[in-house]
Amino acid sequence: MIGTNPIKIGARERVLGLTRFGVDQGRPGDLYLLLLRAFTAPARIKRLESDAAGRLPGVVRIFTAADIPGINRIGIIPSTKDQPVLSDGLIRCRGEAVALVAAETQEAGMQALGAIELELEPLAGVFDPKRALEPDVPLVHEKGNLLFRQRVIRGHADEALARSPYRLRTVYSTAPVEHGPLEVEGGRADWEDGRISVTACTQNPHYDQSDLARLLGLPPELIRVRQSETGGGFGKKLDLSVQSYLALAAFHLKRPVRMVYSREESFLGTGKRHALLIDYESGMDAQGKLTAVKVDILGDSGAYASYGFAVCMRAAVHATGPYEVPHVLVDSRMAYTNNAWAGAMRGFGVPQMAFAHEGQMDGLADLIGLDPLELRLGNCLRNGSTTATGQILKDSVGIGDCLRRLGKIYRAWQPRVRSDERFRRGLGIGAMYYGIGNTGVSNPSSAQMEFSASGELIVYTGAAEIGQGSDTVLAQMAAHYFGMPLEQVRLVRGDTKRTTSAGASSASRQTYISGNAVLDAARDLERILKEGAAAMWECRLDEIEYKSTGMEGPRGESIPVTEIVARLARQGREVKGNGRFDPPVTVLDHQTGQGAPYASYAFAAQLASVEVDTVSGLVRVPRVAAAHDVGRAINRRAVRGQIAGGVVMGVGFATMEEFIPGKTDNFREYHMPTMADAPRITPLIIESHDPSGPYGAKGVGEPSLIPTAPAVANAASRALGVRMTHLPMSLERVMETLSQTRNSKPEIRNKSGF
Amino acid sequence: MAETIDFFLNGELVSVQCPENETLLYLLRERVGLRSVKEGCGVGECGACTVLLEGRAVNACLLAAGKVRGRRVTTIEGLSPKGRLHPLQEGFLLMGAVQCGFCTPGLILAAHSLLEENPHPSREAIVQGLAGNLCRCTGYHDIIRAVKWAAKRMPERE
Ligand code: FES
Ligand code: FES
Repeated sequence: MIGTNPIKIGARERVLGLTRFGVDQGRPGDLYLLLLRAFTAPARIKRLESDAAGRLPGVVRIFTAADIPGINRIGIIPSTKDQPVLSDGLIRCRGEAVALVAAETQEAGMQALGAIELELEPLAGVFDPKRALEPDVPLVHEKGNLLFRQRVIRGHADEALARSPYRLRTVYSTAPVEHGPLEVEGGRADWEDGRISVTACTQNPHYDQSDLARLLGLPPELIRVRQSETGGGFGKKLDLSVQSYLALAAFHLKRPVRMVYSREESFLGTGKRHALLIDYESGMDAQGKLTAVKVDILGDSGAYASYGFAVCMRAAVHATGPYEVPHVLVDSRMAYTNNAWAGAMRGFGVPQMAFAHEGQMDGLADLIGLDPLELRLGNCLRNGSTTATGQILKDSVGIGDCLRRLGKIYRAWQPRVRSDERFRRGLGIGAMYYGIGNTGVSNPSSAQMEFSASGELIVYTGAAEIGQGSDTVLAQMAAHYFGMPLEQVRLVRGDTKRTTSAGASSASRQTYISGNAVLDAARDLERILKEGAAAMWECRLDEIEYKSTGMEGPRGESIPVTEIVARLARQGREVKGNGRFDPPVTVLDHQTGQGAPYASYAFAAQLASVEVDTVSGLVRVPRVAAAHDVGRAINRRAVRGQIAGGVVMGVGFATMEEFIPGKTDNFREYHMPTMADAPRITPLIIESHDPSGPYGAKGVGEPSLIPTAPAVANAASRALGVRMTHLPMSLERVMETLSQTRNSKPEIRNKSGF
Repeated sequence: MAETIDFFLNGELVSVQCPENETLLYLLRERVGLRSVKEGCGVGECGACTVLLEGRAVNACLLAAGKVRGRRVTTIEGLSPKGRLHPLQEGFLLMGAVQCGFCTPGLILAAHSLLEENPHPSREAIVQGLAGNLCRCTGYHDIIRAVKWAAKRMPERE
């Protein structure tokens, strides 16, 4: 069962078109909800007049901030809840929601939006994160423009750099990126026996419930959130979106309501990948060993905090990449601006950091004249290594194996990569490590398990399945534990009334953390069953054996599981195993960033071949080989699927994706990779068996994407003979680079003649 | 102005009252209640709304309802009468081409249209034929494998 390829749970319904997503929840008779958004930012609302609009035929009611009974501030991180659901009088960034219309039809709602009178007074804003942190600039929030700062200090980086024979300093930057799941935000809410019930696509139903309760000033028990089937998330569906409006309207109107964002709204109304500016200096000794890194990171959180705190911290912690670096000085800051707000996106800042540290590794390889793969192998973390935060990695450090596995392919591809007059070609490597789960904080998951009267195993989990495959993986683990076929496992998932919190489907944490919680529940259930049998047969617990057919006693007694369950139930016992897992981590020291922020790390390295068209500036990626240490692949098909999906999203990040509010806020202008842009992918699974993981597993959801852009950027840099330091490497940017370098000698050698 | 539009949906004659210029996507989702037809962008860029019109893949979000009058429209339901999986559906299942599954009905229908024209497409032909259908989850890798798998198993046509 572990390491096999079962067909994904829910896939059959999907190929038949039976699956109902968040956007499919609406039913006849529901009211439609629509938002009026403001497009001048920053600004103050001078006048907001909706009485006439509210009287239009078919319009039921128009809500503004004044209608929010609780606290009009949401945000996943408890200390930085700063985002109003409906404007509090200020428009801090473009697209801010001002008023909510409930109408009998979509058309009536549209008419009302047009009839609401909104007058805005433009204010002075700040749009550059660097500038935002200078004195005497407009403040986005009263508390100041610095959202968060995290340092990581180990040893003495300045002195070590001064002593290093090789030093390299480069400034890297990345653009805001949209997640682009094919399903936009959508859902439905209803009033059910005195409670509000919200069904929507989401990555974290239990968080939704708690912030909705705060918003409405209700106890959480009065709000039920059910995760509908979810058409992709990638971090976009971690913050609240339609849920807030659905709950607010259902609360006031006591009627069923439906809401779906348009694609443009989905761009505007959700957080983007943080643009980071990374000033990176590395030192290396004459033998090619890293001596020190000094990294300054400045992130743009836009107008709201969302996950900015977590991205700032995670970027700092991962700044060195998967390498041993004795002296580290990282200063990571996250600033508020009046730009589009940024939030969680697959990788939480690590994809940006990996672009920088991998650019440095290639740059250093050139400086010192070593092969980039060998240089990485000589510096990478191994069992027993100490990370930048002072954490000793005891086992399951698979980066060396990933690199060695790629080595064979690297050598096979090398002779084939040749440039010609028009197309410049190159190979590039990207490597990464990624801490599983949230950074330096408790982030538990819980699960329950029981046998039904007919012998099915029922697993209760709050873990949101968003396409990544957590349903299947968790069910596989449960089935494996009890030696049952997968078909006999039934999941109850993502419903705050029937399941307990599993935390977010983010940070690649569900396989590892919820997997451990499921196993904990399985052990608990087994214990309850054994206790029942031991009492019946008057023997010790350890004399009883669980077999997939039932329990067996020391004197040859046996009883089917369903019977023991029925017996215990008759005695009034609850036959439900309870499980919980919270990864053992330590809080990072605020001054030095030292600590053990994660209980497990995933590792990966990818190799990309790239072709740059010198006529159009187009960067194509014909091939990628991706080696991933996932601990243990519970579901090999799903792991390969995650890898391929991550690689292609990484190609988008590297070559084409950039969110510009007002310009690239729909699929016509914002380009994501199509089948024609996707490389041929060779997924390689490395299994290092993490003893702390469920059956040895770690995670792969985000790691799959992280090394791609660095590998592509390094390959393009090698092809062009100049280091590419900004993502995306768009047509314009590549053409500009070409025109600047046409007459100068290449800085980067394209080794072995390719 | 609502008009009556009669057309064949998955082999059955249906009659719908709606404005001529309403999109086929809205008609199918909201009036007929066929939620398997998805909206991803509404502007012809993602292919999530793909349906077959006389066997050819079209974007339902771009097509005016009036254009289907008297013609045959097929949605994913039409590929598996009585719940028997079509080889494409089976291929998508077996090759792991379904992750979130939001793009799946559109992609299967687009692939169906492709295989009608070219029963044994090369990798390049598959890529060309399906480049109008976005998938953000799978990286297309397993979708290409699924289409190849199905192409080998499609019932031979006369
Ligand atoms: S919804 Fe029709 S192409 Fe995107
Ligand atoms: S499987 Fe999610 S968009 Fe294709």
